[in-house]
Amino acid sequence: MNEEKTIRLDRMRYTKNTLASGLALLSIIFNVFFFISIYESNVGSWYYNILIGASILYNLVFMLAAFLSSEGIKNYKIGYSYVMIVLGIIQVIRIFIYPMRAHTATVTIQDQAVTVMENRQFIFCVIWLLASAACLIVGAVVGMVRSRALKAHIATLDKAA
Amino acid sequence: MAELNIQHVDKIYDNNVQAVFDFNLDVKDGELIVLVGPSGCGKSTTLRMIAGLEDISAGHLFLDGRDITQTPAKDRDMAMVFQNYALYGHMTIYENMAFSLTLRKENPNVIHKKVLAAAEILGLTSQLNKKPSQLSGGQRQRVAMGRSIVRNPKVFLFDEPLSNLDAKLRGATRREILLLHKRLQATMLYVTHDQTEALTLADRIVCMSMGHVQQVGTPLELYDSPANRFVASFIGLPPMNFFDATVREGELEGRGFRVKLTEEENGALLPYAGKEIELGVRPEDVQGGGEIAMNVFSNENLGMNTLVHGHIGEAAGNRISAKLRGWYDYKEGDSVNVVFSRKHFFDKETGEAIGRGKNA
Repeated sequence: MNEEKTIRLDRMRYTKNTLASGLALLSIIFNVFFFISIYESNVGSWYYNILIGASILYNLVFMLAAFLSSEGIKNYKIGYSYVMIVLGIIQVIRIFIYPMRAHTATVTIQDQAVTVMENRQFIFCVIWLLASAACLIVGAVVGMVRSRALKAHIATLDKAA
Repeated sequence: MAELNIQHVDKIYDNNVQAVFDFNLDVKDGELIVLVGPSGCGKSTTLRMIAGLEDISAGHLFLDGRDITQTPAKDRDMAMVFQNYALYGHMTIYENMAFSLTLRKENPNVIHKKVLAAAEILGLTSQLNKKPSQLSGGQRQRVAMGRSIVRNPKVFLFDEPLSNLDAKLRGATRREILLLHKRLQATMLYVTHDQTEALTLADRIVCMSMGHVQQVGTPLELYDSPANRFVASFIGLPPMNFFDATVREGELEGRGFRVKLTEEENGALLPYAGKEIELGVRPEDVQGGGEIAMNVFSNENLGMNTLVHGHIGEAAGNRISAKLRGWYDYKEGDSVNVVFSRKHFFDKETGEAIGRGKNA
């Protein structure tokens, strides 16, 4: 192992994993864009059911979990990488819950059939959710790789001591 | 190499108050200079002018022959350690120490090496992941020093760095600064109002009062041969005793005492024959067993020494402190005979020293 790489690993003992942590925080921002996009719909009562309540609750849970993960991953705690992967997968699944269903659904307003989610809104919702998921998964991978490298480096130092 | 030359520097504030008058000093490479004096004497102002934090009203400042009088603080290649540490509370010790280099956009690996090296020197390696609030005052001050060390500046400036520490920690940190100086062999300027710090740390001391330099010299020179009454009274603990005395043939006559003069002292005081001068005697130079009667009014046992306060003869104004070796239990009203083993003479009008510290 060359010296540069050793120093880079050693630096991690004293610096935070800001890349992974930043990606987790970015995923929250993209999630906020997603629910802002979805709430701008004005199509009668199509959304008024239990699912929208669950969606709102999940947004809160997601933001909390993603924030905690960002703090955990910042300190090279590998367990939070798995949490972030799960959150990322759920973000992808969410595309098929609201945006996809709303995009294919129609409601009748003043005797006219109107699509609940127009193309533009649908595309943005999908982009925000995908971006959020991508941030979480990339952040998780970065966190995992760095945490393992740091663990191995500390083990080497302990062995040398 | 870092030689600092301060030439005829004045500091005059906008309200026309002059804080520093004609300050001259040549600091050699690797020298530790201590600026000492009472509060408001201009020592911190001088240091801040050197650092570039205050404008220099007149005069010039040279670093290694280069005129840096108008150079901004950031380009002077000097690092300053403040009394209040000035650490970032939200950053770890590592981040605090690395901060200035990070701002300069240095290679992170180089920064890492420098921070670890500085932490090793200061014994902070195990504290690098902590926040400043988790450290003691002494450790925080070491972090502040570490932050300076990583920059590898030409000159280190310390502005009363130990003032916030308790007495025990102050002593320990003072020794660390001394070791650090020996290890780094760096040019350092250190401001303090504590004469103990000045005497123990300095290669040379600059003693200041009211914006004027009173004396520049080694600690021994300032202690042994004070240039004037101010330096004599400021350096030394407890402070020097002063008595008005008239120069007679071969002796000094004061209120309630007579002191014989040596031939050398007599020669130095020849121009003052028949005139009144000030006699200065350090408490440690007052010894038991002479012909001068000292009336005791308090007795402080310090362990190895006893500090006895009293006055000479009937003259209540002639107060004297004597640091006697050994343990004594004098009571108020006791009379002790003492002798002055070493004397200093000062011109009554100018306060200047006469014949610089002659042995009795």
